[in-house]
Amino acid sequence: MANLLLDMITTSAILFLTSAGLLVVFGVMKIINFAHAAFITVGGYAAFVAHEIGLPPLLAPLFAFAVGAALGAVAEWVIVRRLYARPLDAILATWGLGLILGQLVVLGFGRGVQFVPPPVQGTVAVLDTEYSLYRMLLILIAIAVAICFTALLNGTRLGLSTRAVIMNEELAQGLGINSSRVRLITFAIGCALAALAGALLTPLTSVDPLMGLPYLIGAFMLVMVSSGSLPALAVACVVLGGLQAIISTYFGSVLGGLTIAVFAAIALRLRPEGFARA
Amino acid sequence: MKHRKSTMFLAASAAFLAGAAQADDPIKIGVPVGLSGANSVVAPSVVQSAELAVAQINEAGGLLGRPVELVVADDGSGAAGAQRAFDSLIFSDQVDALISMQTSAARNAGLPILSRGNVPYIYTSFYEGGSCHPNMFVNAWVPEQQVPPVVDHFQAEYGAETYFLIGSDYSFGRGMLEFTREYIEAGGGEVVGEEYLPMDGTDWAPILSNLRSSGADAVITSTAGGAPNVTLTRQMRGSGVDIPYANLAVDEGTAGDMGDVATGIYISASYITGIESDANAAFLAAMAEHFGDDLSTPNELSVPQYEGILAYAAAVEANGSTETAGIIEALAEVSVDGPRGTIVMDHQRHAPLTMYLGRVVDGGDVELVTEFDAVSPGEQCPDL
Amino acid sequence: MPDIANTTQPAATRPALSSRRLKRIAILAVFGAAVLVGPLVLDPYTVNILVRAFFVAIVAVTVDILWGYSGYLTFGQGAFFGLGAYTLAITFSEFGFGPWQTIAAFGGAMLLGVLVAALVGWLSFYPGSTPLYATIISLVLPIVLVQLIYSGGNFTGASSGVVGYLTFTFMTDTWFRIAGIATLAVTGLSHVLVSSDAGRLLRALRDNEMRCAYLGLDTSKLRIIVLVACAAVAAAAGAGYAAFGGIAAPENAGFIFGTQLVVMVALGGRGMLMGALVGALSIELASAYLSSVLPFMWELLVGIAFVAVIVTMPSGLFGVLGAAARRWVPWAFSAPQQVMLKTAQARAETVQAGIDETVLEAHDVTKTFGSLTVLSGVSLTARRGELVSLVGPNGAGKTTLIRCLADGREASSGTIRIGGTPIDKLPPHRVVRLGLGRKFQAASVFETLTVADCLRIARAGRDRPSLVTTSTDLALPAAARSVVESAGLDARLDDEARYLSHGLKQALELAMVLALEPELVLLDEPTAGLTRAERQRFAAILTDVVEREQLCVLIVEHDLDFVRQISSRIVVLHQGKLALDGSVEEVVNSDLVNEIYSGHKVAKGKEVSQ
Repeated sequence: MANLLLDMITTSAILFLTSAGLLVVFGVMKIINFAHAAFITVGGYAAFVAHEIGLPPLLAPLFAFAVGAALGAVAEWVIVRRLYARPLDAILATWGLGLILGQLVVLGFGRGVQFVPPPVQGTVAVLDTEYSLYRMLLILIAIAVAICFTALLNGTRLGLSTRAVIMNEELAQGLGINSSRVRLITFAIGCALAALAGALLTPLTSVDPLMGLPYLIGAFMLVMVSSGSLPALAVACVVLGGLQAIISTYFGSVLGGLTIAVFAAIALRLRPEGFARA
Repeated sequence: MKHRKSTMFLAASAAFLAGAAQADDPIKIGVPVGLSGANSVVAPSVVQSAELAVAQINEAGGLLGRPVELVVADDGSGAAGAQRAFDSLIFSDQVDALISMQTSAARNAGLPILSRGNVPYIYTSFYEGGSCHPNMFVNAWVPEQQVPPVVDHFQAEYGAETYFLIGSDYSFGRGMLEFTREYIEAGGGEVVGEEYLPMDGTDWAPILSNLRSSGADAVITSTAGGAPNVTLTRQMRGSGVDIPYANLAVDEGTAGDMGDVATGIYISASYITGIESDANAAFLAAMAEHFGDDLSTPNELSVPQYEGILAYAAAVEANGSTETAGIIEALAEVSVDGPRGTIVMDHQRHAPLTMYLGRVVDGGDVELVTEFDAVSPGEQCPDL
Repeated sequence: MPDIANTTQPAATRPALSSRRLKRIAILAVFGAAVLVGPLVLDPYTVNILVRAFFVAIVAVTVDILWGYSGYLTFGQGAFFGLGAYTLAITFSEFGFGPWQTIAAFGGAMLLGVLVAALVGWLSFYPGSTPLYATIISLVLPIVLVQLIYSGGNFTGASSGVVGYLTFTFMTDTWFRIAGIATLAVTGLSHVLVSSDAGRLLRALRDNEMRCAYLGLDTSKLRIIVLVACAAVAAAAGAGYAAFGGIAAPENAGFIFGTQLVVMVALGGRGMLMGALVGALSIELASAYLSSVLPFMWELLVGIAFVAVIVTMPSGLFGVLGAAARRWVPWAFSAPQQVMLKTAQARAETVQAGIDETVLEAHDVTKTFGSLTVLSGVSLTARRGELVSLVGPNGAGKTTLIRCLADGREASSGTIRIGGTPIDKLPPHRVVRLGLGRKFQAASVFETLTVADCLRIARAGRDRPSLVTTSTDLALPAAARSVVESAGLDARLDDEARYLSHGLKQALELAMVLALEPELVLLDEPTAGLTRAERQRFAAILTDVVEREQLCVLIVEHDLDFVRQISSRIVVLHQGKLALDGSVEEVVNSDLVNEIYSGHKVAKGKEVSQ
């Protein structure tokens, strides 16, 4: 039972980490970044490179964050900003961007699996069971990311501008806020968070050109359900992630893998406005 | 029927006339392989060993006095790509035979085209068994050959009675574990859990929690190669599982690369680089000489490819021509002395094999635990 | 009911139509000949590749109809293709190969496609669903389907697919001709459909779904019907693919395939059937030749080309070529047909309408957002022939009230009756059918449709559009016709709406609303952004129409002079409450209004309650 509880919480934490970047972009720009999975992959490879060039393991996630932010900013500048008027095309272009990034990773690193040694190993005694230490750490990291992000949004000038753009872009522009700068920074941060998640996942997974893909649909659905609100995303991750862990445990991981997509789709059909105000 | 060839895209394709074979016309061997997609990791080593085999045959004067030529096509590791590759090799390049390792989906997709083109096909990849086609031979292992050494050893060495099986949800994963379950149960053991994660799944935690609470004596896994193998192994070690663990889908090379999480894993294979035989030593030396720094380490998938080509060469010599019906008869009889030993595909188109049970030791090397001679593939294609 | 006179007359009197038909036949003949001769001149490998490419092209055409024409970006058409492939493969595997099995396989494939599409449509399209949500659902479909296939054991062949069943033993050349003719037939029929009167609805949906709903069209139903039809075609193509290839594999159903279809259509040219066709055939061919030579580079090149096309030429390669062709060889393109403007028969019941009839009854309407109350207890009635102005400072709740009156799901509590029927929970298109017409604040028309087509869409609810023919007439009710003529739109019926001036767009939208023959018209700041002269002309048109048609008009306005000029009654909203409701004199001279307006002099301009 304790094991199930921990599985539920850690699954939620992983979901939160892998969808936070998508949420940031969706919240401000109202588009879904289809290159999200590719940026998770980029983060994994950034961690790999960090290891290869001898950076200490603690810096690897930060390195990934920086790489993601830089690539995201370039992508926004070259591709996405030309498509503000065509949101569905912007989505398609990010899909194409994902294809390109994926193939570049393959050309640069090969199709094979890369290995990053985990910074911590083994288990820790929690409740009445032994549980993976790293998964426990991910809970703390997810909470830290949420706090940092809330602080950024509520405590800085950039956050204020961002919230203004989220609420009413025209009005924000009228007030002298440079909304295209806000969008650039938002997209960069969204991609950076995706890359950060990729780096943080490396102790649990392999690093390979498709490593981000499995998280894509879950992130899409969670972000849609939470309609762009960070607290709502956290709740959605806990509810649907917990449900996924329960279904995986008792009905098999195959059904578990479909949990989020199916329940989120039905939930949205029944309550189209999402659950942000619930 | 007259066909004008569209040369627009075809740079290197030859043969404008599909006439009778002439003395210096090459014998063409088609290799449909996953240059892209899931198999692209192993494909370079497969192509290399095929190239070595062809080079050696040509150095020895070719076949029936004709040179041998290799035509490689990308099957994208999937069905659609395989159909394209088979089409292009059979109808455009007009190869005399197909010899390759492929995913099960790619192999299956190619079979209908094999029927239409009527060429012989040697499948050189281990697989879940039971795939039969009048033109197809298999020289790699099936569950009947790979699983018994593992289970027998676990029972003998650890007295394991209860087993937990974990797989990726695809044909190979399920096929292997279904056989494993039957074999364990037939031997008086008990399977206390059998769970699958979707191919692209990454979170093994609920399965591992169930594994831990099951109290099994041993765990046997059959995941898709590459990423799922790594994620499962890492998370299993991370969650503190330390019962005997056999992985039916990891090859020597990957196990070594995984680092210390792989230590202690049992693997069962028909080829490991450490086989002590003259044939293996000569093969490894020739590979090293031929490819130098570009060498992709020979493995469980590339060595059967090498032997498959030697088998085809033997069949052509025995038959005296490349005509399909004769080749198919000959392939069931000819024997090849290769790195894995003497191999004859005479058991319903499959081959008895010597199987090696190995264990990953510190540093990533595989230590040979024990070997089993001439393990029969069992009943694979009783109708052929 | 078309009699002989009706069918022959257009051809005789309008040469444009016959030349257009001639061109269609010529194109069909050229392609038909190519399909028949193809196998004789192409090498067997190319023939093989093209057979598969044809089946893929059929699905690509359905993707184009859904995405290019109706604006639903879908990654799910591959799933319907796979569903069809598996239906045939499983039918042949389980029951053997034969005539009835073939009928069952194709029939079953299409039926399954229809059922699944109906479910997906129900999930994706409902009043209030967003395009993004529908797109995401289209991604979920293939993922769920592939998981089911993987879990299906021997029945579905799991990851290896279903293989080894007996199927047709045609020569490849015969397959080429069958698949080629099927592709031509699907493309040809699709062409007839999308250029028909009904097909125009697709582009209207793409341009402006909200406007469609407020023209009384059940957009959700329409989208579901289109999806179901496209799914059936895609499933049939999938069944054909499996019949030819002898295999159904998970990748035929997967979302990667679904995205490849979108890439093909995007590169070829969306919103052009030829673009989809050529895009699919050329990508299939090129990847067959190039993917072996450059396995990874090929995908990278496709990715780069895709992004470049999306960003720099959204109409795709075919669109760019088409535009160039139009410029250099204009004679090859038929000139637009002359539109005949006519007056539609008025509805019987409006002719005898009594003047005192109450059209709108709102009682105690309240709207809250969480703890914020935007409207509280507003009650209001309006009768035929009245022109009621709704005034009040920004944030008073005017636009919110308009929204509540037009959409039964908006109000938090209270009752609203239009023409005596309560609109509780009714979506806009149902409210419109009760006799409502709504003009938005910013002109809301169909940007890429011609003026005549915009007006035809407005009539689609009344005059059922044909699925086959394209009408050259434009029959409008008198009120709409008078707006069209007095604004001078009758001279620009063939121009696309996006080329109109702001004022003309406003007039066009008003004409579209009036074409619905509404009893109650809601106008939200119709004069915002108009010049003084335009405003005067608008006032004249409006009062004229109200008088002649005995309409009931509710208008939100800031310009008090304008309000005074046109209104028969004024309602003042203040802080979400109804503050005053009286004659022009009463209201304009009231202390409250003076206080509100002197205190909020800046209130003129855009309302920001969106």
